Amino acid sequence: MANQPDRSDLRNLRDKTAIVGVGTTEFGAIYRDLDPERSAYELGLIAFREALRDAGLKRTDVDGVIVSRLPHYGRMCEMIGLRHPRFVNVLPGEGRQSGIALQYAALAVANGMADVVACIYGNNGRSAGARYGGESRGISTQAMFEAPYGMTSPGAVTSLMFRRHQYRYGTTTEPLAHLAISNRANAALNPNAVMQRPITMDDYHGARYIAEPLCLFDYCLINDGGVCFIVTSAERARDLQHTPVLIHATSQASDITPVYVADDFWHEPMSQIADDLFAHSEAQREDLAFAQLYDNFTPTMLFTLEGMGFCEPGEGGDWITPERIGLHGELPLNTGGGHTSESYMQGWALHVEAVRQLRQDCGERQVDDAQYGLYACAAPLATGHILKRDN
Amino acid sequence: MTTESPTPELSYEKPLPPVLELTKPFWDGCREGVLQIQFCNICDLPWFPPAEACPRCLQDDWEWRPISGHGTVWSWIRMWQKYFPGWSPDEYPYTVALIKLEEGPYMYSTLVEIEDQDVSCDLAVEVDFRKVNDEITLPVFRPAST
Repeated sequence: MANQPDRSDLRNLRDKTAIVGVGTTEFGAIYRDLDPERSAYELGLIAFREALRDAGLKRTDVDGVIVSRLPHYGRMCEMIGLRHPRFVNVLPGEGRQSGIALQYAALAVANGMADVVACIYGNNGRSAGARYGGESRGISTQAMFEAPYGMTSPGAVTSLMFRRHQYRYGTTTEPLAHLAISNRANAALNPNAVMQRPITMDDYHGARYIAEPLCLFDYCLINDGGVCFIVTSAERARDLQHTPVLIHATSQASDITPVYVADDFWHEPMSQIADDLFAHSEAQREDLAFAQLYDNFTPTMLFTLEGMGFCEPGEGGDWITPERIGLHGELPLNTGGGHTSESYMQGWALHVEAVRQLRQDCGERQVDDAQYGLYACAAPLATGHILKRDN
Repeated sequence: MTTESPTPELSYEKPLPPVLELTKPFWDGCREGVLQIQFCNICDLPWFPPAEACPRCLQDDWEWRPISGHGTVWSWIRMWQKYFPGWSPDEYPYTVALIKLEEGPYMYSTLVEIEDQDVSCDLAVEVDFRKVNDEITLPVFRPAST
């Protein structure tokens, strides 16, 4: 291809910024307490308050705000008494945006546009009756050319991709079961997780289909919650109370088409991200203490592992074993329980889990030797970072 | 080529596509039993879903051209979740297929004249049509005859 961009400048961001505070709502507690009046802003506020306390910062130290899924930055800033922020952005409420929020925060801080950026997410989807499917109004492509056939929902799209993967490589649902069971086992050690009762292979295979071949346990939860992470410079981070978690390497790539699905299961963008991350880090795949992989649906994890070169395309089904992906395995995955068991915070809570693991603050579910950890999200708009515990 | 539904439903409650100025020729074609999509008059690129300009030339010098109606099943699912009104209980699970058209673009549809156990990715299919009402006729796909 002509005009291949030089991606080496990505290394300019290396270790310049850090996550210094994280906060979430109590996912399990509010799952059992539906509240039609619960606003996404309130959830964002709770998470922000928690992240500030965690960072040991004052409200007035914050001079940048990025909100996601919250419709308007103004209401959030107003609620946290931030009248004169000097860096503000709004990202839509989709999972692809959580990694991008961290990237914007790091860019802003590294380039002097803000000193302390709070990234705030709030999701009242469960209380508000969100179904993540069934939309048929308006003049979208979905309404015009998909809904008339009953086609709807991100899960159905992922199911189409997984069926294609099965056809092309002979993949079975066994690896998906391992992922779902592993997520749940990790959630059982996470007091904040929504779903803590372990599931078995029989449970998985007995579950009802949603969009066949995917079943209930392949799907993310629908729950309310808020998440916040606070980013500042590495220098400033070293004066704060926790060991800084550095934004060590980060990258974005994409494959944007009218149908969302990718014939290569997003291998191209995910391999580009892996190339970027491992080119700009002293850490390689074997140095990662864990991977928090975007798991809106379990096949997305399989596609990510193949795309990022943990195994060859088509070999994910064999590569994913309970021993390898468990908390003390070669690459522990989604150590807090992920979207299928901890909380569907569209990637945001995966970031928080990564930070807590690198701080070695995860109690019973703590992985070994947590120096480097990966976050990655496979989608038409894909992101990945290596986060690093500061020495 | 257009066929009436075997049992025309008195009240059709499945989602119906809004017809826009941009998409009207597509639906007009379907009513006549012709599947057509947009082609660029400058570079001959076909695209679907409809858009206001060629995504390569960025020009609005394009026209609707009939296409072969042939393609393959890129993938397919059986939908069990009741997201929409309009499908009766005995229609679940219903099949949704993503068709890769011979000309390149992809199109969501459903499969007819085939049992689920005979469906496979890359199955060769051809278009057929199902009339819904006086305005809308939906393209569907069946196993290719040749």
